[in-house]
Amino acid sequence: MTDMASDGLTTLSPQRESNFRRELKRAVRSMVAAKWPVLALVVLGAVLIVAIFGPLLAPLDPNRQNIMLRLAEPMAEGPRGATFWLGSDALGRDVLSRLLYGARISLLVGVCAIFVGGAIGTVAGLVAGYFGGRIDDVFMRLGDIQLAFPFILLAIMFLVVLGPGVVNLILVLGIGQWVTYARIVRAQTLSLREKEFVEAARALGDSTTSIIFRTILPNIVAPLTVIASFNVASVILAEAALSFLGLGVPPEVPTWGSMLAESREQLIANKWWLAVFPGLAIVLTVLSFNIIGDWLRDFLDPRLKERG
Amino acid sequence: MRRLGTLAAAGATGLLLCSTALAQQPDENTLVVGLSADITTFEPANISSRDNSNIARHIFGTLYTISGDGDVQPDLAEDLQISDDGLAYVYTLREGLTCHDGEALTAEDAAYSFNRAADPANNFTGNTPGFVFSSIGFDSAEALDEQRVQINIERKNPIAFGLIAEVFIHCKDSYEAMSLDEASANPIGSGPYRLASWDRGSQVVLEKVDDPNSPANMERIVWRIIPEASTRTAELIAGNVDIITNVAPDQIDAINNSGGAEVQAVQGTRRMYVGFNLSDEFAQMPGGDAIQDPAVRRALQYAVDVPSICKQLLNFECERMTGIVNPPNAHPDIEPYPYDPETAERLLDEAGWPRGEDGVRFEIRLQAGQGRYLNDRNVVLAIAQYLEDVGLDVEVDIMEWASVYIPLIRQRAAGPLYFIGSGGALWSPLYDMTDLARVDSGTNYTHWDDPRWFDRWEDIANAETEEETRQIVNEMLEVFYEDGPWLHLYFQPDFYGVSDRVDFEARPDEKVYLFDTGLN
Repeated sequence: MTDMASDGLTTLSPQRESNFRRELKRAVRSMVAAKWPVLALVVLGAVLIVAIFGPLLAPLDPNRQNIMLRLAEPMAEGPRGATFWLGSDALGRDVLSRLLYGARISLLVGVCAIFVGGAIGTVAGLVAGYFGGRIDDVFMRLGDIQLAFPFILLAIMFLVVLGPGVVNLILVLGIGQWVTYARIVRAQTLSLREKEFVEAARALGDSTTSIIFRTILPNIVAPLTVIASFNVASVILAEAALSFLGLGVPPEVPTWGSMLAESREQLIANKWWLAVFPGLAIVLTVLSFNIIGDWLRDFLDPRLKERG
Repeated sequence: MRRLGTLAAAGATGLLLCSTALAQQPDENTLVVGLSADITTFEPANISSRDNSNIARHIFGTLYTISGDGDVQPDLAEDLQISDDGLAYVYTLREGLTCHDGEALTAEDAAYSFNRAADPANNFTGNTPGFVFSSIGFDSAEALDEQRVQINIERKNPIAFGLIAEVFIHCKDSYEAMSLDEASANPIGSGPYRLASWDRGSQVVLEKVDDPNSPANMERIVWRIIPEASTRTAELIAGNVDIITNVAPDQIDAINNSGGAEVQAVQGTRRMYVGFNLSDEFAQMPGGDAIQDPAVRRALQYAVDVPSICKQLLNFECERMTGIVNPPNAHPDIEPYPYDPETAERLLDEAGWPRGEDGVRFEIRLQAGQGRYLNDRNVVLAIAQYLEDVGLDVEVDIMEWASVYIPLIRQRAAGPLYFIGSGGALWSPLYDMTDLARVDSGTNYTHWDDPRWFDRWEDIANAETEEETRQIVNEMLEVFYEDGPWLHLYFQPDFYGVSDRVDFEARPDEKVYLFDTGLN
């Protein structure tokens, strides 16, 4: 474990480098053996590429309306000789282009919210677990209070006050997640603070901040990673739900959730492509994150590691 | 594969069973109406929205009433005498009228209904004080005897009679005994129905008043609030609702092909427009300064392709409005602004708003509510696109209708651009123009104050003949067309989904009165 504790250092000695390579090989072998995580990784890789290069890949401007060509079926002819590969929506905007731009928002919101929630939760969990007593009580009771409210209700409340927008959405979704991280980090810290290597650091005169962030924190990165991978999925879903409710981002910003919301009125008129494509994008992304999380949990579990 | 098929079949059967179990088809004494917008109050002097007023009209009577075709019909009153100077209206009530609280309805109740609505201490902002009273210059009401009530107005007004017909008559004893809060949820009128229950945001149930002479047909009318257009359509097709308002244009075929319901389309009288808020406060905002100039407002009229919006987004061929007045009474010689983006760009250049390096002339915010009007959200987004095409940078701000947007509109604080519709009528051009009766009228959301319009009301009051009035009206409409505060859009078509079970005919004025609606 002490080796892992210093893995966070930037310069790797030859010994550690070979350890890293060994772990990487083991990860690849385990992933290939499990099959599904490879597919999930491919999907997520594709989503990531789309999110980064969306504007270059999109055949048309996602916000450009063309009401004369509204509700065109997939593969129909678009404006100026272009093709609506996945059809057009109720305002004649290209569904494919909106889907590609939407990936950016979904992923951005998902990942950033996890960083916000993870950062707050990790610091709170470390402090609560390490110091215990009153500080612990305050953080944990705050968490209990927050968990007593349904998350979507809390998010709606915040967004009505703050107003819709990507940054507000990230903040709200991030704040909604901190308790999960705080609880796990606290539990890990409680057990780690009594370990000999922490005692040793203390005996060597390390400062409290150094012990918390340089000795304990690196040892809880593994469970945090697993939680985060599951969490990204639920945050992406929450973003979709809030955008569906009209509380996510402004109407001109395409997101998968708002695309689904806009498809509601057209479903009864059999315009299936408006719901199916953003729906598929959400399902595939969320499923992939869940599969990766599942695999990571098994891969990082020391008991399964020994067996493997 | 076979297992998958079995599972799918089982799932489908389960869903079907669930949906049948959930469906509650109305019985033969009940009529169910699905509305798009929530209602906010039963306080007769605070009611302002059409849906709210439609329900309330079944509970409250009015002195006279105007039919869908513009015919005048008696309601609570059976006779009217107007004084020679046109300032006193004496109505004679029918005999034997009874309030829902069991008391007789007399001229005293009628006078009370007017005076209570006008009392500044009550701070009412509904259609009666905000529109009717400010338009007719209401002065006072008094009971002359048991049956006769006199309404006094400050200045002669050729359409005062039609406006007075919109005031809900309620019952004095009950209202004096209630606080304003209580009154907002406990309407006591003399209409054929009384309020049985009101679950806010969900439904209103009206029950027929026990009266052998009642004109009402059905025992019970349930008004369900179903904001989602596709849910309204699905409920109609499933037979759970008899009539729905505001059918989404893209769902018309689904209803007509359902075999159990049909869509009735009528050319409505609601004037849909984008208002320019010209108040000093908004002049400080981005774009608010630009629209102060009538030349900019005129330029923007050319930027929006209204017939295409009608055809594509409303499923209706429409002619663009030429102003504030509905077609039969509109200015006979004015042509609608054509869609001509080049002219729009040229006029904006000439007005001193050339495109910047980024192609933008100026930024501006366009506010709107959603869920109230036909395909409103998409119409607003399409308008924003047209304005962006001529170089504006439009920030679209779409809000929840009843609790966010309407309060803003009531305070006349939406803008600098805002999208809204204003109910109109066919029986007089002056009715439509009354939105802008005074600079400080509750319905002048634009704060427009052009004396060439507002000073002419005096001339109308003094006009001797109809021809003279018409001449003034035309001159006012020319000012409105050239320099007015509205970006002209269209008269909203109305789509009602009607189940084959009921006998209902839609009116052009959005009034859904179900007294004589029955089953087929």
